Amino acid sequence: MATIEMTPVPAAAPDERSLLPLLDEGKPSARGWLARRIVQAGVIGAGLALIAVNPPVLQTDRVTKGLIFVIIGFSLHILLGYAGQISLGHQAFVGVGAFTSALLVSKGLTFWVAIFVSGATGALTALILGFVALRLKGLVLALVTFAYGQVAVNSIFAIPQLTGGGAGVDALRPAGFEGDKAWAYLVAGFLALIWLLDWRLVKSKAGRAIMTIRENEVAAASFGINVVGYKILAFVLSGAIAGIGGALFAHHTRQVAPNDFNFQLALVFVLMVVVGGLGSRPGVFVGSMFFGIFPLAVPSDFVHYGELIGALLLLLTLTMFPGGIGQQLKPFTDWIAGHPFHFSLKPQRESGISSGGAGVRP
Amino acid sequence: MISALLSAIILGLIQGAVIGLVALGIVLVYKGSRVFNFAQAELGTVAAFFLYFLIDVVNVNYFVALPLALIGIGIVGFLLERLIVRPLFDAPRVTMLVATAGVTLLFIALELIIGHTQTRILAKAADGTAFTILTVSFTYQRMIVIAAVVGLAIASAWFFNKTDLGLAVLATSQEPVATELVGIGTRRISSFVWVSAAVLGGIAGVLQGPDTLLYPGMMTREFLLLGLTAAVLGGITSLSGAFIGGLLIGGLNGLGSWAQGQFTASIGAIPAFPEVLVFVVLLAVLSVRPQGLFGAEA
Amino acid sequence: MSVLECNDLSIQFGGLKALDAVDLSVNEWEIVGLIGPNGAGKTTFFNCVMNVYNPTRGSVVYRGENITALPTHERVPRGFGRTFQNVGLVKSLTVMDNMLIAQHSKVRYGAMAGIGGMPGSFREETALRENALEILSFMGLVEHRDARVGSLPYGLQKLSEIAAVLGTDPEFLMLDEPTSGMSPEEAHEFGDLLLKLRTELNLTVLMIEHHVPLVVRVCDHVYVLNFGRLLAEGKPHEIQRHPEVVAAYLGEEE
Repeated sequence: MATIEMTPVPAAAPDERSLLPLLDEGKPSARGWLARRIVQAGVIGAGLALIAVNPPVLQTDRVTKGLIFVIIGFSLHILLGYAGQISLGHQAFVGVGAFTSALLVSKGLTFWVAIFVSGATGALTALILGFVALRLKGLVLALVTFAYGQVAVNSIFAIPQLTGGGAGVDALRPAGFEGDKAWAYLVAGFLALIWLLDWRLVKSKAGRAIMTIRENEVAAASFGINVVGYKILAFVLSGAIAGIGGALFAHHTRQVAPNDFNFQLALVFVLMVVVGGLGSRPGVFVGSMFFGIFPLAVPSDFVHYGELIGALLLLLTLTMFPGGIGQQLKPFTDWIAGHPFHFSLKPQRESGISSGGAGVRP
Repeated sequence: MISALLSAIILGLIQGAVIGLVALGIVLVYKGSRVFNFAQAELGTVAAFFLYFLIDVVNVNYFVALPLALIGIGIVGFLLERLIVRPLFDAPRVTMLVATAGVTLLFIALELIIGHTQTRILAKAADGTAFTILTVSFTYQRMIVIAAVVGLAIASAWFFNKTDLGLAVLATSQEPVATELVGIGTRRISSFVWVSAAVLGGIAGVLQGPDTLLYPGMMTREFLLLGLTAAVLGGITSLSGAFIGGLLIGGLNGLGSWAQGQFTASIGAIPAFPEVLVFVVLLAVLSVRPQGLFGAEA
Repeated sequence: MSVLECNDLSIQFGGLKALDAVDLSVNEWEIVGLIGPNGAGKTTFFNCVMNVYNPTRGSVVYRGENITALPTHERVPRGFGRTFQNVGLVKSLTVMDNMLIAQHSKVRYGAMAGIGGMPGSFREETALRENALEILSFMGLVEHRDARVGSLPYGLQKLSEIAAVLGTDPEFLMLDEPTSGMSPEEAHEFGDLLLKLRTELNLTVLMIEHHVPLVVRVCDHVYVLNFGRLLAEGKPHEIQRHPEVVAAYLGEEE
């Protein structure tokens, strides 16, 4: 049938030059990188110093709570930002992690093991939801995640043997870390680890696969991506980190009760990630810190103003500033990442929940 | 035991009327804006607070305060549509959904700031009990609720099938561009839908409020998930479905409560059994018949 | 030697027979054209071959292996590469990013190793980028590597998609209207590219196309679909003169 004359493929002449140097084009010089690294170190150093100094409004204790919220924010961001999966029941994963750790430590297990078990239980809880998410999309998925969160919290968390009824369960901090500052540094350490994990996720094939699935599932499969597998992976990662965040939350307040994980908390989590800015780790950091600290930093009469501001910020972000805080931080964060500093007042590009925000660069 | 079961179911059905009312508003918004309105329940709490304020603080007569409260919540609905719904007209529907969740948070925050966490008692439309079946008292209040819901269900069915405006609403939700081209003002229709949904939600709140305690987030806490499930069960595009879905979910809830009582007596408490039951039903409907009982096939 | 053989491939959506008993085969190093009026079922055919849709009847055999039920993503390591009518790339990411995504199935480090930042993964990432640059260089797209795909002109988006599909290291390419939106000159250049790819990379190609001059020039064999059924097959110039084919296209603009 086919009569095609195929000339044998000539042996490829070895390339004289690799094209790799092209990757460095447009990147900063060594001095440029040094400047950026100094600034990065400075910011981190300032944060650590803040913990040590314990100033009036930003007390160490509050900053720690903020950092825990950042961890939770990052966990939700994996679903909402990278995977494009709406999750209105995230408080369930956090709560599961919190109670797991509290219970295990109360029964004598060491914190250092308990916290990883919390990650596992959080992951398991998320895995179940992940299987549901394989079959449902969009609005209906949002509804199911909302229902899942409510039901999980009201049923499992209401079992007195597990969660101690109204009084809750005690969750003591590990030996040597009872003090505010030591605990704060420990939490910061966990956050650093998770930040690194998130960084590697985005820059490796798993993160790319998850983001491709968000944009176009069929194209993802055509590139060899196992769509089901990576969707599940996104849920598992999200649940694991949420579980760890929950455990830290429990040991932070030294006691955890079912009432801590209501519907409003789920929305606060979504809020801080969306307002922080989908696709922007620094944005989510700022957003989460704000919502973690504000209720504590403000006199008790004004606590609800935080919720008001939060709701208003959410609505503002959704309607007018889709990139959230992250978008506003972009000139700065782009510079740190190696781009020239570029500030402009151009209007926002459309970047909603479904399209992963400002677009994380793999 | 049978009478306890029947009582529980009847009570559930009565509550199903309110659930149906919430579901009605949800379906209306879905028909108009293709989104699940997560603020539908809380609109009821806000209206209840309006009513409370007018009666208990300003000392207005109930039958003057009621329409004023409903007008108030209608205005809220109008503002919602203008400030939130319209800017997000072209946005992905999930974004819109999160926005409605944000509105709920906003409402609850305002309620907490203005009203604090104190629980209150909302005035009834009518006092007294008409009759009692088994152990369930059919108070006049409850009968008004049932009558209101039935009446509204019939009215909306008539409205959407028989009136020009109603058909226009349907047209807008299905084919916005074509509808606009034909000359029907989609913006005005959108306002109408949200004002109506707000009023429906408000009616649910003021009628339900007296039966329980009024506190910030009351309607969302107790009715949002049930209302959403009822709407999905009935068929998210079917108004009569919303009403029937509400009754079914209410009855199911009642059945679940009775069952929970039985379990507690015999094998120990199963927490939130009614809720778990409703959730299982939700999942079942979505897997087996996603368009619900009366909805149109997608 | 047959690369792809489809027998009796059929699919039904409700009452609609989108494909009805389609027999199609592609031999090694052939460039086969799949033509037909709009709505004939060509993209549906691709979707069945790729198992995006489950065919209701029939089989897909690749190099002797029956892959009818094989999940879509497992076809890529076997040598399949597929493009889409509306550019199946992540438009919010850059060309380079998409090149990295495209090489997904070749990556040797595991997902968790990548997340954990194992040293091997860093090295491999660099290799992926180097490979991407080579392909982009071959396609003349190096200067656009950092541009967001969505911001590129349509023709360049299409070429980027070709570059990406080459990144999957394919042996068998399925191209869905690769020249749609191109001018006649660009389509001609694309034909050159295709022939070059076939020779230099030992590729076999199945191509949905509307550009008649391109099909005539480049294809060794042509299949014609209409209403989900195979209308005719043969050499391009035979098909051009086939009365039923002409009739099917009557009134159609290409």
